[in-house]
Amino acid sequence: MRYDEFTAHDLLLLLQGLGVSVSLFAATTVIGLVLGLAWALLRYYRVPVLAQFAALVAELLKNSPVLVQLFLVFFGLPVLLQTDLSPVEAALITLSGNTAAFVYVIAVSAIESVGREQIETARVFGLSRWQTLRRVVAPQAAAFGFGPLTGLLVNQLQVTSLISVIGVVDLTKVGAILNLRTLKPFIVWTVVGLLYYLMARLIAHVCARMETRLRAHSQWKGL
Amino acid sequence: MTFDPTILEPYLGDLAAGARLTALACALALAGALLLGVVVALMRTANLAWARRIANVYVDVFRNVPFIVQLFFLFYGLPEVKVELSAFATGVLALSLAGGAFVSDVIRSGILALDPGVLEAAQVSGLSRFAIYRHIVVPIALRTSIRPLGAVFVNLILTSSILSAITLNELTGGAKIVASDTFAPFEVYALLLLLYAAMTWLVSLASGALHRRLNRNLA
Repeated sequence: MRYDEFTAHDLLLLLQGLGVSVSLFAATTVIGLVLGLAWALLRYYRVPVLAQFAALVAELLKNSPVLVQLFLVFFGLPVLLQTDLSPVEAALITLSGNTAAFVYVIAVSAIESVGREQIETARVFGLSRWQTLRRVVAPQAAAFGFGPLTGLLVNQLQVTSLISVIGVVDLTKVGAILNLRTLKPFIVWTVVGLLYYLMARLIAHVCARMETRLRAHSQWKGL
Repeated sequence: MTFDPTILEPYLGDLAAGARLTALACALALAGALLLGVVVALMRTANLAWARRIANVYVDVFRNVPFIVQLFFLFYGLPEVKVELSAFATGVLALSLAGGAFVSDVIRSGILALDPGVLEAAQVSGLSRFAIYRHIVVPIALRTSIRPLGAVFVNLILTSSILSAITLNELTGGAKIVASDTFAPFEVYALLLLLYAAMTWLVSLASGALHRRLNRNLA
Protein backbone atom coordinates (compact mmCIF):
# COMPACT_ATOMS: atom_id res chain seq x y z
CA MET A 1 0.00 0.00 0.00
CA ARG A 2 1.27 3.42 -0.88
CA TYR A 3 0.62 6.44 1.26
CA ASP A 4 0.79 9.12 -1.39
CA GLU A 5 -2.84 10.19 -1.22
CA PHE A 6 -4.10 13.08 0.87
CA THR A 7 -6.10 11.98 3.90
CA ALA A 8 -8.39 13.77 6.32
CA HIS A 9 -5.61 13.62 8.89
CA ASP A 10 -3.45 15.86 6.68
CA LEU A 11 -5.96 18.64 7.21
CA LEU A 12 -5.55 18.23 10.95
CA LEU A 13 -1.77 18.32 10.54
CA LEU A 14 -2.05 21.50 8.49
CA LEU A 15 -4.23 23.15 11.12
CA GLN A 16 -1.81 22.09 13.82
CA GLY A 17 1.06 23.68 11.89
CA LEU A 18 -1.00 26.79 11.39
CA GLY A 19 -1.64 26.91 15.13
CA VAL A 20 2.07 26.63 15.93
CA SER A 21 2.92 29.39 13.43
CA VAL A 22 0.21 31.71 14.70
CA SER A 23 0.94 31.19 18.39
CA LEU A 24 4.68 31.67 17.93
CA PHE A 25 3.98 34.77 15.88
CA ALA A 26 1.65 36.15 18.56
CA ALA A 27 4.03 35.35 21.43
CA THR A 28 7.11 36.81 19.73
CA THR A 29 5.18 39.91 18.67
CA VAL A 30 4.09 40.63 22.24
CA ILE A 31 7.55 39.96 23.71
CA GLY A 32 9.21 41.86 20.87
CA LEU A 33 6.94 44.87 21.34
CA VAL A 34 7.62 45.05 25.09
CA LEU A 35 11.38 44.56 24.66
CA GLY A 36 11.64 46.96 21.73
CA LEU A 37 9.73 49.69 23.55
CA ALA A 38 11.86 49.23 26.68
CA TRP A 39 14.89 49.40 24.41
CA ALA A 40 13.63 52.69 22.94
CA LEU A 41 13.06 54.05 26.46
CA LEU A 42 16.79 53.60 27.15
CA ARG A 43 17.35 56.05 24.35
CA TYR A 44 14.54 58.41 25.37
CA TYR A 45 15.98 58.70 28.87
CA ARG A 46 19.52 58.91 27.41
CA VAL A 47 20.88 56.16 29.66
CA PRO A 48 24.65 56.35 29.11
CA VAL A 49 26.47 53.35 27.55
CA LEU A 50 23.31 51.19 27.53
CA ALA A 51 21.62 53.43 24.95
CA GLN A 52 24.59 53.20 22.56
CA PHE A 53 24.88 49.48 23.16
CA ALA A 54 21.17 49.04 22.37
CA ALA A 55 21.56 50.96 19.11
CA LEU A 56 24.53 48.77 18.10
CA VAL A 57 22.74 45.50 18.88
CA ALA A 58 19.62 46.65 17.01
CA GLU A 59 21.77 47.56 14.01
CA LEU A 60 23.43 44.11 14.06
CA LEU A 61 20.11 42.26 14.34
CA LYS A 62 18.61 44.37 11.56
CA ASN A 63 21.52 43.76 9.20
CA SER A 64 21.99 40.01 9.50
CA PRO A 65 19.79 37.16 8.24
CA VAL A 66 17.26 35.82 10.72
CA LEU A 67 18.34 32.33 9.70
CA VAL A 68 21.89 32.98 10.93
CA GLN A 69 20.54 34.44 14.18
CA LEU A 70 18.42 31.34 14.54
CA PHE A 71 21.44 29.07 14.03
CA LEU A 72 23.49 31.15 16.46
CA VAL A 73 20.87 30.74 19.17
CA PHE A 74 19.89 27.14 18.44
CA PHE A 75 23.31 25.60 17.74
CA GLY A 76 25.66 28.19 19.27
CA LEU A 77 24.14 29.20 22.60
CA PRO A 78 23.81 25.67 24.04
CA VAL A 79 27.50 25.00 23.32
CA LEU A 80 28.62 28.32 24.72
CA LEU A 81 26.52 28.14 27.87
CA GLN A 82 26.57 24.33 28.25
CA THR A 83 22.78 24.10 28.32
CA ASP A 84 20.00 22.61 26.25
CA LEU A 85 17.59 24.58 24.15
CA SER A 86 14.51 23.14 22.50
CA PRO A 87 13.79 24.34 18.95
CA VAL A 88 10.70 26.19 20.18
CA GLU A 89 12.70 28.03 22.85
CA ALA A 90 15.36 28.97 20.33
CA ALA A 91 12.68 30.20 17.94
CA LEU A 92 11.05 32.25 20.70
CA ILE A 93 14.33 33.89 21.70
CA THR A 94 15.45 34.66 18.17
CA LEU A 95 12.19 35.95 16.77
CA SER A 96 11.46 38.05 19.86
CA GLY A 97 14.91 39.62 19.68
CA ASN A 98 14.56 40.26 15.97
CA THR A 99 11.11 41.82 16.34
CA ALA A 100 12.39 43.90 19.26
CA ALA A 101 15.21 45.32 17.11
CA PHE A 102 12.78 46.48 14.43
CA VAL A 103 10.27 47.78 16.98
CA TYR A 104 13.15 49.76 18.53
CA VAL A 105 13.93 51.41 15.18
CA ILE A 106 10.27 52.23 14.53
CA ALA A 107 9.75 53.54 18.09
CA VAL A 108 12.84 55.76 17.92
CA SER A 109 11.79 57.38 14.65
CA ALA A 110 8.20 57.71 15.91
CA ILE A 111 9.40 59.47 19.07
CA GLU A 112 11.61 61.74 16.99
CA SER A 113 8.68 62.60 14.74
CA VAL A 114 7.08 64.48 17.64
CA GLY A 115 8.28 68.07 17.52
CA ARG A 116 11.01 69.09 19.96
CA GLU A 117 9.08 72.24 20.87
CA GLN A 118 6.20 70.14 22.20
CA ILE A 119 8.54 68.36 24.60
CA GLU A 120 10.11 71.66 25.64
CA THR A 121 6.66 73.18 26.20
CA ALA A 122 5.62 70.20 28.30
CA ARG A 123 8.78 70.55 30.38
CA VAL A 124 8.15 74.26 30.87
CA PHE A 125 4.65 73.46 32.11
CA GLY A 126 6.26 71.31 34.77
CA LEU A 127 5.47 67.84 33.43
CA SER A 128 7.99 65.21 34.41
CA ARG A 129 9.86 63.34 31.69
CA TRP A 130 7.56 60.33 32.19
CA GLN A 131 4.41 62.48 32.04
CA THR A 132 5.68 64.13 28.87
CA LEU A 133 6.18 60.70 27.34
CA ARG A 134 2.86 59.33 28.56
CA ARG A 135 0.62 62.32 27.77
CA VAL A 136 2.35 64.16 24.92
CA VAL A 137 4.79 61.98 23.02
CA ALA A 138 3.30 58.48 23.18
CA PRO A 139 -0.16 59.20 21.70
CA GLN A 140 1.31 61.01 18.69
CA ALA A 141 4.18 58.58 18.27
CA ALA A 142 1.75 55.65 18.33
CA ALA A 143 -0.24 57.11 15.45
CA PHE A 144 2.96 57.81 13.52
CA GLY A 145 4.55 54.43 14.12
CA PHE A 146 1.53 52.30 13.38
CA GLY A 147 1.98 52.22 9.61
CA PRO A 148 5.56 50.93 9.74
CA LEU A 149 4.52 48.54 12.51
CA THR A 150 1.90 46.98 10.24
CA GLY A 151 4.55 46.35 7.60
CA LEU A 152 6.82 44.87 10.25
CA LEU A 153 4.14 42.47 11.54
CA VAL A 154 3.30 41.20 8.05
CA ASN A 155 7.02 40.67 7.50
CA GLN A 156 7.55 38.95 10.86
CA LEU A 157 4.75 36.51 10.08
CA GLN A 158 6.72 35.41 7.04
CA VAL A 159 9.91 35.25 9.06
CA THR A 160 8.29 32.66 11.35
CA SER A 161 8.44 30.24 8.40
CA LEU A 162 12.23 30.03 8.91
CA ILE A 163 11.89 28.20 12.22
CA SER A 164 10.93 25.11 10.21
CA VAL A 165 14.64 24.84 9.35
CA ILE A 166 15.57 24.08 12.97
CA GLY A 167 12.80 21.53 13.30
CA VAL A 168 9.81 23.35 14.76
CA VAL A 169 6.74 21.76 13.19
CA ASP A 170 5.11 24.95 11.97
CA LEU A 171 3.06 25.45 8.82
CA THR A 172 6.10 25.33 6.52
CA LYS A 173 7.45 22.18 8.15
CA VAL A 174 4.04 20.51 7.78
CA GLY A 175 4.19 21.53 4.13
CA ALA A 176 7.61 19.92 3.78
CA ILE A 177 6.38 16.71 5.44
CA LEU A 178 3.28 16.48 3.24
CA ASN A 179 5.35 17.35 0.19
CA LEU A 180 7.79 14.52 0.80
CA ARG A 181 5.02 12.00 1.46
CA THR A 182 2.58 12.83 -1.32
CA LEU A 183 5.08 14.16 -3.90
CA LYS A 184 2.52 16.73 -5.01
CA PRO A 185 4.52 19.94 -4.55
CA PHE A 186 2.13 22.19 -6.47
CA ILE A 187 -0.90 21.36 -4.35
CA VAL A 188 0.95 21.34 -1.02
CA TRP A 189 2.92 24.56 -1.45
CA THR A 190 -0.03 26.38 -3.01
CA VAL A 191 -2.19 25.54 0.01
CA VAL A 192 0.58 26.51 2.45
CA GLY A 193 1.27 29.72 0.54
CA LEU A 194 -2.43 30.55 0.48
CA LEU A 195 -2.72 30.08 4.24
CA TYR A 196 0.22 32.45 4.83
CA TYR A 197 -1.26 34.90 2.34
CA LEU A 198 -4.63 34.92 4.09
CA MET A 199 -3.00 35.42 7.48
CA ALA A 200 -0.93 38.33 6.12
CA ARG A 201 -4.05 39.96 4.69
CA LEU A 202 -5.87 39.47 7.98
CA ILE A 203 -3.05 41.15 9.92
CA ALA A 204 -2.90 44.05 7.45
CA HIS A 205 -6.68 44.46 7.65
CA VAL A 206 -6.83 44.46 11.45
CA CYS A 207 -3.90 46.89 11.68
CA ALA A 208 -5.48 49.24 9.11
CA ARG A 209 -8.68 49.38 11.18
CA MET A 210 -6.75 50.10 14.37
CA GLU A 211 -4.74 52.80 12.62
CA THR A 212 -7.91 54.56 11.49
CA ARG A 213 -9.02 54.67 15.12
CA LEU A 214 -5.66 55.98 16.32
CA ARG A 215 -5.73 58.72 13.70
CA ALA A 216 -9.38 59.59 14.31
CA HIS A 217 -8.41 62.78 16.16
CA SER A 218 -6.85 64.35 13.07
CA GLN A 219 -9.58 63.35 10.64
CA TRP A 220 -12.02 65.70 9.03
CA LYS A 221 -15.31 65.25 10.84
CA GLY A 222 -17.47 67.61 8.81
CA LEU A 223 -19.07 70.81 10.00
CA MET B 1 32.10 28.55 28.61
CA THR B 2 34.75 28.98 25.95
CA PHE B 3 34.93 31.43 23.13
CA ASP B 4 37.88 30.85 20.83
CA PRO B 5 37.53 32.26 17.31
CA THR B 6 41.08 31.23 16.33
CA ILE B 7 39.99 27.64 15.55
CA LEU B 8 38.17 29.02 12.53
CA GLU B 9 41.37 30.12 10.83
CA PRO B 10 41.87 27.02 8.62
CA TYR B 11 38.24 27.31 7.47
CA LEU B 12 38.35 30.91 6.32
CA GLY B 13 38.88 29.72 2.74
CA ASP B 14 35.65 27.68 2.85
CA LEU B 15 33.75 30.65 4.19
CA ALA B 16 35.23 32.87 1.48
CA ALA B 17 34.08 30.38 -1.17
CA GLY B 18 30.59 30.50 0.35
CA ALA B 19 30.68 34.29 0.37
CA ARG B 20 31.63 34.30 -3.32
CA LEU B 21 28.66 32.08 -4.15
CA THR B 22 26.37 34.35 -2.11
CA ALA B 23 27.73 37.41 -3.93
CA LEU B 24 27.27 35.75 -7.32
CA ALA B 25 23.72 34.61 -6.56
CA CYS B 26 22.83 38.07 -5.24
CA ALA B 27 24.34 39.86 -8.22
CA LEU B 28 22.46 37.65 -10.70
CA ALA B 29 19.27 37.93 -8.68
CA LEU B 30 19.66 41.71 -8.53
CA ALA B 31 19.90 41.85 -12.33
CA GLY B 32 16.84 39.60 -12.67
CA ALA B 33 14.88 41.49 -10.04
CA LEU B 34 15.70 44.85 -11.64
CA LEU B 35 14.58 43.69 -15.07
CA LEU B 36 11.39 42.16 -13.70
CA GLY B 37 10.81 45.06 -11.34
CA VAL B 38 11.04 47.69 -14.08
CA VAL B 39 8.64 45.78 -16.34
CA VAL B 40 6.17 45.21 -13.51
CA ALA B 41 6.42 48.82 -12.37
CA LEU B 42 5.67 50.00 -15.91
CA MET B 43 2.69 47.63 -15.98
CA ARG B 44 1.45 48.92 -12.63
CA THR B 45 1.58 52.52 -13.81
CA ALA B 46 0.30 51.74 -17.32
CA ASN B 47 -2.99 52.93 -18.69
CA LEU B 48 -4.25 49.37 -19.20
CA ALA B 49 -6.55 47.86 -16.61
CA TRP B 50 -5.54 44.25 -17.30
CA ALA B 51 -1.81 45.02 -17.10
CA ARG B 52 -2.29 46.79 -13.78
CA ARG B 53 -4.35 43.92 -12.44
CA ILE B 54 -1.86 41.20 -13.39
CA ALA B 55 1.06 43.19 -12.00
CA ASN B 56 -0.76 43.92 -8.74
CA VAL B 57 -1.64 40.26 -8.22
CA TYR B 58 2.01 39.30 -8.78
CA VAL B 59 3.30 41.84 -6.27
CA ASP B 60 0.59 40.98 -3.76
CA VAL B 61 1.33 37.26 -3.88
CA PHE B 62 5.11 37.46 -3.78
CA ARG B 63 5.15 39.99 -0.97
CA ASN B 64 2.71 38.10 1.25
CA VAL B 65 3.98 34.55 0.94
CA PRO B 66 7.15 33.60 2.86
CA PHE B 67 10.23 33.29 0.67
CA ILE B 68 10.98 29.77 1.87
CA VAL B 69 7.53 28.62 0.67
CA GLN B 70 8.14 30.21 -2.75
CA LEU B 71 11.54 28.55 -2.85
CA PHE B 72 10.18 25.08 -2.03
CA PHE B 73 7.36 25.60 -4.54
CA LEU B 74 9.93 26.14 -7.29
CA PHE B 75 12.52 23.65 -6.04
CA TYR B 76 10.09 20.74 -5.77
CA GLY B 77 7.59 21.96 -8.35
CA LEU B 78 9.77 22.73 -11.37
CA PRO B 79 11.03 19.14 -11.83
CA GLU B 80 7.36 18.04 -11.85
CA VAL B 81 6.81 20.03 -15.03
CA LYS B 82 10.07 18.71 -16.49
CA VAL B 83 12.11 21.84 -15.87
CA GLU B 84 15.34 20.52 -14.40
CA LEU B 85 17.33 23.36 -12.87
CA SER B 86 20.31 23.21 -10.54
CA ALA B 87 19.82 24.34 -6.94
CA PHE B 88 21.80 27.47 -7.77
CA ALA B 89 19.63 28.36 -10.78
CA THR B 90 16.44 27.67 -8.81
CA GLY B 91 17.71 29.86 -6.00
CA VAL B 92 18.57 32.75 -8.32
CA LEU B 93 15.18 32.41 -10.03
CA ALA B 94 13.32 32.46 -6.71
CA LEU B 95 15.33 35.43 -5.45
CA SER B 96 14.69 37.32 -8.70
CA LEU B 97 10.95 36.64 -8.55
CA ALA B 98 10.68 37.71 -4.92
CA GLY B 99 13.04 40.66 -5.42
CA GLY B 100 11.14 41.81 -8.51
CA ALA B 101 8.03 42.45 -6.41
CA PHE B 102 9.96 44.72 -4.04
CA VAL B 103 11.91 46.44 -6.84
CA SER B 104 8.66 47.19 -8.68
CA ASP B 105 7.35 48.98 -5.58
CA VAL B 106 10.42 51.20 -5.49
CA ILE B 107 10.45 51.94 -9.23
CA ARG B 108 6.71 52.55 -9.20
CA SER B 109 7.05 55.31 -6.63
CA GLY B 110 9.94 56.67 -8.70
CA ILE B 111 7.66 56.81 -11.74
CA LEU B 112 4.79 58.37 -9.79
CA ALA B 113 7.19 61.04 -8.53
CA LEU B 114 7.97 62.11 -12.12
CA ASP B 115 7.06 65.71 -12.83
CA PRO B 116 4.01 65.53 -15.17
CA GLY B 117 5.41 68.54 -17.02
CA VAL B 118 8.39 66.47 -18.17
CA LEU B 119 6.08 63.84 -19.68
CA GLU B 120 3.87 66.47 -21.32
CA ALA B 121 6.92 68.17 -22.79
CA ALA B 122 8.07 64.84 -24.21
CA GLN B 123 4.63 64.18 -25.69
CA VAL B 124 4.36 67.59 -27.37
CA SER B 125 7.86 67.12 -28.76
CA GLY B 126 6.40 64.23 -30.69
CA LEU B 127 8.45 61.46 -29.05
CA SER B 128 6.98 58.00 -29.48
CA ARG B 129 5.68 56.16 -26.42
CA PHE B 130 8.61 53.78 -26.52
CA ALA B 131 11.11 56.65 -26.73
CA ILE B 132 9.46 58.35 -23.76
CA TYR B 133 9.77 55.18 -21.67
CA ARG B 134 13.26 54.38 -22.92
CA HIS B 135 14.82 57.84 -22.61
CA ILE B 136 12.79 59.63 -19.97
CA VAL B 137 10.63 57.54 -17.64
CA VAL B 138 12.95 54.61 -16.90
CA PRO B 139 16.24 56.55 -16.53
CA ILE B 140 14.74 59.18 -14.23
CA ALA B 141 12.80 56.64 -12.16
CA LEU B 142 15.89 54.44 -11.78
CA ARG B 143 18.12 57.35 -10.87
CA THR B 144 15.87 58.71 -8.15
CA SER B 145 15.36 55.29 -6.61
CA ILE B 146 18.96 54.19 -6.18
CA ARG B 147 18.90 54.48 -2.39
CA PRO B 148 15.66 52.50 -1.86
CA LEU B 149 16.96 49.98 -4.38
CA GLY B 150 20.01 49.65 -2.15
CA ALA B 151 17.68 48.76 0.73
CA VAL B 152 16.01 46.12 -1.46
CA PHE B 153 19.43 44.72 -2.36
CA VAL B 154 20.36 44.53 1.32
CA ASN B 155 17.19 42.53 1.91
CA LEU B 156 18.06 40.31 -1.03
CA ILE B 157 21.44 39.51 0.53
CA LEU B 158 19.82 38.67 3.86
CA THR B 159 17.18 36.56 2.12
CA SER B 160 19.82 34.68 0.14
CA SER B 161 20.80 32.91 3.37
CA ILE B 162 17.57 30.91 2.98
CA LEU B 163 19.01 29.30 -0.16
CA SER B 164 20.96 27.06 2.22
CA ALA B 165 17.63 25.25 2.76
CA ILE B 166 17.76 23.85 -0.79
CA THR B 167 21.23 22.30 -0.42
CA LEU B 168 23.07 25.31 -1.83
CA ASN B 169 26.36 25.86 -0.02
CA GLU B 170 26.45 29.64 -0.07
CA LEU B 171 27.76 31.57 2.93
CA THR B 172 25.20 30.17 5.40
CA GLY B 173 25.23 26.66 3.93
CA GLY B 174 29.03 26.61 3.94
CA ALA B 175 29.08 27.85 7.52
CA LYS B 176 26.81 24.99 8.56
CA ILE B 177 29.44 22.55 7.31
CA VAL B 178 32.23 24.44 9.07
CA ALA B 179 30.20 24.46 12.28
CA SER B 180 29.74 20.69 12.22
CA ASP B 181 33.44 20.19 11.40
CA THR B 182 34.79 22.36 14.19
CA PHE B 183 32.11 21.78 16.87
CA ALA B 184 32.28 25.55 17.41
CA PRO B 185 28.84 26.70 16.24
CA PHE B 186 28.77 29.84 18.34
CA GLU B 187 32.03 31.17 16.92
CA VAL B 188 31.02 30.29 13.36
CA TYR B 189 27.59 31.88 13.47
CA ALA B 190 28.78 34.93 15.41
CA LEU B 191 31.39 35.49 12.69
CA LEU B 192 28.71 34.95 10.07
CA LEU B 193 26.48 37.56 11.70
CA LEU B 194 29.29 40.10 11.52
CA LEU B 195 30.12 39.15 7.92
CA TYR B 196 26.54 39.68 6.76
CA ALA B 197 26.31 42.92 8.72
CA ALA B 198 29.54 44.13 7.10
CA MET B 199 28.35 43.16 3.61
CA THR B 200 24.99 44.87 3.96
CA TRP B 201 26.62 47.90 5.56
CA LEU B 202 28.97 48.24 2.59
CA VAL B 203 26.06 47.90 0.16
CA SER B 204 24.04 50.60 1.88
CA LEU B 205 27.09 52.90 2.03
CA ALA B 206 27.77 52.33 -1.67
CA SER B 207 24.15 52.84 -2.71
CA GLY B 208 23.97 56.03 -0.64
CA ALA B 209 27.12 57.36 -2.30
CA LEU B 210 25.88 56.42 -5.77
CA HIS B 211 22.52 58.02 -5.04
CA ARG B 212 24.15 61.29 -4.04
CA ARG B 213 26.47 61.22 -7.04
CA LEU B 214 23.72 60.56 -9.63
CA ASN B 215 21.27 63.01 -8.09
CA ARG B 216 23.76 65.78 -7.36
CA ASN B 217 22.05 68.14 -9.80
CA LEU B 218 18.70 67.78 -8.03
CA ALA B 219 19.74 69.03 -4.63
